[in-house]
Amino acid sequence: MKLSFSTKVFAMVLSAGLVAGCSSTGENMEDEAYGSDVQAIGGDDGSTVYGGDDGDGVSSGVLSDEERQAAREQAEQQALRDITTFYFDFDTSEIKQEARDVLVAHARYLADNPRQQVRLEGHADDRGTKEYNLALGERRANAIQRFLIVNGASRGQMETVSYGEEKPAVRGTSDSARAQNRRVELIFQ
Amino acid sequence: MTQKTSCHKTTVKMLLTGWLAAMMLSAGNASAELLIRITEGANSAIPVSVVPFAESGAMPPGDKVSSIVQGDLTMSGEFRTLEPSKMLSLPSKGSDVYFRDWRMLGQRYVLVGELTRSGDRVHARYELFDVNQEKRILGETAAAGVGSVRTLAHHISDRIYEAITGEPGVFSTKLAYVTVSGEGDQMRYRLQVSDVDGKRAKIRLESREPILSPAWSPDGKKLAYVSFETGKPAIYVHELSSGQRDKVADFSGLNSAPAWSEDGQSLLMTLSRDGNAEIYQMDLASRKTTKLTNHWAIDTEPAWDYANKGIYFTSDRSGGPQIYFMERPGAEPRRITFGSRYNARPRPDNKGEYVYYVHQRDRAFHIARTNLKTGDESIITRTESDESPSVSPNGRLLIYATGQNGASVLTVVSADGGAAYSLPAADGDVREPAWGPITR
Amino acid sequence: MTGHERETISTDTPPWKSPVVLSVALHVLLLVIALAGWSWTNPVQEPEPRSISARLVSPEPKPSPVVDEQDQRDKEEERRLQEEKERQQAEAERKRQQEEARRKEAEEQARKREQERKQQEAKARELAEQQAREKEAARQKAEAEAKERARQKAEQEQRAREEAKRKAEEEQRRREEAERQRQEQQAREEAERKRKEAERRLKEQQLEALAEQARQEREAEARRQQEAAAARAREAQMLSDSEKYQALIRDRLSQAWYPPSSATENMVARLQITLLPTGELANVRLVSSSGNTAFDNSALGAARSLNRYPVPDDRDTFERYFRQFTIEFNPQRLR
Repeated sequence: MKLSFSTKVFAMVLSAGLVAGCSSTGENMEDEAYGSDVQAIGGDDGSTVYGGDDGDGVSSGVLSDEERQAAREQAEQQALRDITTFYFDFDTSEIKQEARDVLVAHARYLADNPRQQVRLEGHADDRGTKEYNLALGERRANAIQRFLIVNGASRGQMETVSYGEEKPAVRGTSDSARAQNRRVELIFQ
Repeated sequence: MTQKTSCHKTTVKMLLTGWLAAMMLSAGNASAELLIRITEGANSAIPVSVVPFAESGAMPPGDKVSSIVQGDLTMSGEFRTLEPSKMLSLPSKGSDVYFRDWRMLGQRYVLVGELTRSGDRVHARYELFDVNQEKRILGETAAAGVGSVRTLAHHISDRIYEAITGEPGVFSTKLAYVTVSGEGDQMRYRLQVSDVDGKRAKIRLESREPILSPAWSPDGKKLAYVSFETGKPAIYVHELSSGQRDKVADFSGLNSAPAWSEDGQSLLMTLSRDGNAEIYQMDLASRKTTKLTNHWAIDTEPAWDYANKGIYFTSDRSGGPQIYFMERPGAEPRRITFGSRYNARPRPDNKGEYVYYVHQRDRAFHIARTNLKTGDESIITRTESDESPSVSPNGRLLIYATGQNGASVLTVVSADGGAAYSLPAADGDVREPAWGPITR
Repeated sequence: MTGHERETISTDTPPWKSPVVLSVALHVLLLVIALAGWSWTNPVQEPEPRSISARLVSPEPKPSPVVDEQDQRDKEEERRLQEEKERQQAEAERKRQQEEARRKEAEEQARKREQERKQQEAKARELAEQQAREKEAARQKAEAEAKERARQKAEQEQRAREEAKRKAEEEQRRREEAERQRQEQQAREEAERKRKEAERRLKEQQLEALAEQARQEREAEARRQQEAAAARAREAQMLSDSEKYQALIRDRLSQAWYPPSSATENMVARLQITLLPTGELANVRLVSSSGNTAFDNSALGAARSLNRYPVPDDRDTFERYFRQFTIEFNPQRLR
């Protein structure tokens, strides 16, 4: 169970890394993916940050394990939350299956941190008309917002805005560029 | 310039000929006088000669008035002009026009004129002759400041256009469009206004954030548009002469796709303040809004029809974006387009004959139009990533944005898809053209 | 069982025939065998060999004493004794020999009797055996006969089948031959037909050519007649000319007319045209305005743009139709 969850996190982070690699340069995808992957796993080891807290000496090994587990879970959640961009198919606002765990992690985090504000920016690719795409980007942002609310975030923490096709992540008219432009970005403030 | 082509007319003509022959036969027998009925015309542009104007006094540098006129007439796609080098004479007065010569050259109309500098003004006197009728059909004077010879030239073009075609010309109208240049932090969105030939462009608004959907007020004095300058879309009304701006719609969610009513008193717009993109009408004086559509689907891109009674808009209520028409605000919409799975951003003409829109065919996006009487749809652009159609106020021309070598440029075509020309490319992308109204 | 085997392998037997015959034959065969087998396995009661009567012995001959003659005296006697002795010895010998002969004869007789008995016994045995053999022979004969009958029957059937088959084959051959002949006949007929068709076609073509020639001649004649008729009937001629030139004028004007962009299908402009016999325009007059100046001008311009109107040479036709006529400009299919 634990292992499978870690594997899932690993996969999510890896895919995030891949996407990051694509969107940043479109080259050196593997290097960057690997780099971000390593970094994320390195962050996972940061249980020391939380380990220092069990300082009352009474804690037994069991407690310490629990603490460590909690810490690890928290780190995993954080690793999930490194992913802040969610992609969509052409002319749809359907949240993809693989995005759900990540969004749940974000929703939990928002629920745990009621003062945290997040901006949901919806985007479309360059095909079709600008105003329709504006509406489409908003529909995507709204879909993400609804999902976060359902999973514990509160509406007041969120602000949605659609840029339509105005702010592509990647320039160009290739299929892959367009796939990366049909997205919602979460911007924590 | 592309010549208009039409082979179907030839066949029609042939069919008609047979029928008419029969008609003539009976007509010939019945009445003493023969009647010949002509139902088809030539399908080519009208040959017109614009003779270089005579000049007295120092003229400002730059394009000559007559060459601007010649360019305007050519641009319309309805005329073909004769190169001055091929003219047998260069008259500037009606008395010097030898119709026989022009007839020999196959010309239908000849424009002659002269310009006189008087202080900081340029006066023009010009005459248009019908070569076959050997008759002057226009003789006028006009004047403009030295710095406005283009205005003077476009005015003359309009007058000639109207004298020959019976319709107002659109050469003095303006275009609004948005250019985008720079990358990253240097990225700039600029709302610009220019002549219809792309000259005399002026920046009216510059922003690091997107500017969208410029729309001309009916009097041509204001622009409404969407600007993201505050980080979210809001609709502004911008008075061009003073530069004064009003943020008229800044609701939560979308504030987009403004469209003026004919009286200039209200705007149609798309708002999503109730959670879903719907079309509203806002009274500009009171800022009161009325919701015109109510559907879970996206409803956007509204535009008044030619009579300012009904509203065209885009809705994906059928699953993908399609054009709909409401007979009157709030009425049950009727779907107009069925030809493909993506039809959006309707722009009706000024006569109620056609509605133009973005149309997806295979993987390409074209501009298409539907004949509102027959329902026939035809694609009128040959380019493949076309957006933002805008019809000229006389319904004869259409401007749109299209991808060209990775950048967006503006292209003008005749409304039936015949002649086409691209406006001179500016820096970076040029997009969102809006053809301004005819102002007098 | 060879007959049976033959039955089963004779696949040439017509199917409707074999099973019945087979089963009948088999049953008959089985029945025969069963009957034969029954008599064979139940031995007939035979009389015991008469061994007692066969032992009858014939009486033995007894040896009889022989009386000697008077011996001769001393010498004689001696001699005679000697002789007697010799004679006694010879007698003894003779007796012994007689005895021996009698014994031998008795033995011979006994042997003969024994032999006879044995012969009789053998005869009786032989008789019995003979009888048994005869019986067996009879049985075997019956069996063989049954078999033979079955075999014959089977053979007969086989022969019948073979005969039938042969006949069928022959029939088939005959039919095939007939068919072949028929086809050959047909092919011959077809070839003949084609040949005839070709001939016919050729003939037809010739006829057609002739007909065409005739038709052309007739047409030429008709044309001549028509022309003659037209010459006679000037009205018709002028009308025909008129149509032709109307079409020419219409085409020329259509090419010369630039309907303005403001034109609608409702607009109609009428011009009255006056021509010179050369086709030159003498006068054009707007008799009915469209209400749109540009439209009217486009019509007038078109009317005036023709340097020379196509008109008939025939003066009468010209005067009648083209000296003065009306042109109506009314666009039908714009754009």
